[in-house]
Amino acid sequence: MKTPASASAIAMLTAACLAAPSLAADDEATRRDLFAVITLHGLPCGEVVGVATRGENDHLATCKDGNRYRVFLNAEGRVVVERQ
Amino acid sequence: MRSAGAVGSAIVLLILGCAGLGTPPPDALSRSSPRQAGTEAVAPAVPPPALPGAPPPRVETQGGLAAVPPSSTGPAVPRPAASVRQAAPPVAKAPSKSAAPPASAAQPSGKGVIPPEIAKPKAPPLDLASLEQRLEETRAIGVLTKITLKNQVDDLLDRFRAFYQGKLETDLADLRRSYDLLVLKVLSLLQDGDQALATAIVASREAIWGILSDPAKFATI
Repeated sequence: MKTPASASAIAMLTAACLAAPSLAADDEATRRDLFAVITLHGLPCGEVVGVATRGENDHLATCKDGNRYRVFLNAEGRVVVERQ
Repeated sequence: MRSAGAVGSAIVLLILGCAGLGTPPPDALSRSSPRQAGTEAVAPAVPPPALPGAPPPRVETQGGLAAVPPSSTGPAVPRPAASVRQAAPPVAKAPSKSAAPPASAAQPSGKGVIPPEIAKPKAPPLDLASLEQRLEETRAIGVLTKITLKNQVDDLLDRFRAFYQGKLETDLADLRRSYDLLVLKVLSLLQDGDQALATAIVASREAIWGILSDPAKFATI
């Protein structure tokens, strides 16, 4: 006989499994978006391999070549890319 | 999403031209000669061949080749559009390219008038509303990328503005290079994820430049 705790754990695990593909897709889209922005600014970045979100429209992108950039939207509505 | 909408609009301002391009009057479209039809880029529909004695098919055309109503003895044979202008209803389409000659120079319509040359392949019309909508909705470009492109579009428009005001020491060739580079950036972002939109932008490229490079038209943006 399953305990309520194990049933809850199973439910949570199932939900996590179902949500994982969509979350991965969002991460992939964010990486592609950041890579495009960095490239449009003429900065080197072979591939965005890691993203840390600091806030809304404020990300820290880690590139495959070791470069790290902060990509954010400033008060004037311009996308700014700063090398870290 | 709001920022994406603003981004799309700004991108369109450069890429698609001003809203001053109005739709030409239907009469001008229906009277346009095949030579001018080269600037009106809608391929006419070719109706299926009609049976003898059947009512003539409805033909919509802005010029160029189009199927004509069949004679009583045989099936329809494609003929130059001039002979079917009288049967062609007016078609409201997107405005023609800015380089199009005026419709007043159109040859007079009449039965049996055959244009001296077959219409050249037409460039697609500059459908600003459709391109704008597609740019706003495309998933090939992320939100931050759209905003970045918007920033670069605004910067280029500022350069044009300063150039026409005499505040910028440059020439149209340099602005053309900047424009081409920006278009290439947009195309490189769209070509894999939204090929149809990329193709449409390529087709509109010269028409948009025609607006940007004309001080009078640029002032209406």
